[in-house]
Amino acid sequence: MFSKKIVLAFTLILFAGGASAQGDFEGIWTADHPPRMGQPDPTTVKMTPAGLAEFEAFTPEKDTQLRCLMPGIPLGLIDPYPIEIVYQEHQILILYEHFHQVRRIFMDGRTAPDHWQPSLGGYSTGKWDGDTLVITTTHLSPDNNTWTAGYPFSGDESAYVVERWSRDGDELNLVGEVHDSANYEEPYVVNGHWTFAPDGEIWEYECIPEYADVK
Amino acid sequence: MKSLCNGYRIAISIVTLGILAGFPAMAHHSGVAYFDLEVEIIQHDATVVEYVLVNPHGRLTYTFTDEAGVQQEWTGELASSNNLRRLGLGGEILKPGDKLKTVTGSPARSGTNFMRLSRVDFENGDVAQLVGPNAGITRSGE
Repeated sequence: MFSKKIVLAFTLILFAGGASAQGDFEGIWTADHPPRMGQPDPTTVKMTPAGLAEFEAFTPEKDTQLRCLMPGIPLGLIDPYPIEIVYQEHQILILYEHFHQVRRIFMDGRTAPDHWQPSLGGYSTGKWDGDTLVITTTHLSPDNNTWTAGYPFSGDESAYVVERWSRDGDELNLVGEVHDSANYEEPYVVNGHWTFAPDGEIWEYECIPEYADVK
Repeated sequence: MKSLCNGYRIAISIVTLGILAGFPAMAHHSGVAYFDLEVEIIQHDATVVEYVLVNPHGRLTYTFTDEAGVQQEWTGELASSNNLRRLGLGGEILKPGDKLKTVTGSPARSGTNFMRLSRVDFENGDVAQLVGPNAGITRSGE
């Protein structure tokens, strides 16, 4: 019969295999998004009357990036710049070259404290669904947009974003759902794609306001 | 090709529509809210005034003489400094006084002398493709 040592060793191997089911996303990734920068086909976006009114009233001045403010979430879910992902014990960091944006994805089960104010980046918590990272972001600012084409974002208390990140070899994929019932009858879905770049570089991204506006 | 009263030629290009609809990674902002992407402007025999590489958008300012004989100064919006540098379109490729065979882009909806640049053809035959999956610089003879 099997000795206790063999059973113990087998058990450890079994659980070690389970722990490695979490995706390994650490490193630098270069942007390689689908057409339309991963945004949905405009003909499929179903806006509410209020959302459509906001869309038609959009002007460049409402784009935070053209005021040299970081895009935040949901606007900054996808951009054409590299990102770096770092794992820490209690959180995953997503470091964006674009505007040096730093996202903290809390992985330790915490929830947003009562004093947390709405912000461009919001409050993000994450969990693993197998090897897929699921991020939920709340406390998002109404001073944001969903996309630069003028798709609005209400920043209502009920608005939130769910992201599902998965890795396939050297490819990193994101499916992001923007839940904003004030403006959209259905979630606005984006698809991001990055390629692993172990020798990639994250450059400084300074923004000069005088060159941000559209004349 | 269609000539307008202010002297520059406009070519409504189905190919351009296709390229811009593809929305390459280099062009972050969708552009449709700011520029009339259904119109393509081709300006000839331009002289560089300034090529500024900054974020979020670089700028190329240039002059040319329109069909009415009037010298015009225009500014073209480019991708960010970071992305232009990654594509080999750093600040060394254009200097004040450089001559450009053609400058191509889509006009701003504001009606000002401002457009989103899609392509620059140099006098020596080099081509800087600024949007699309083939964005980058192609040296003459390649």
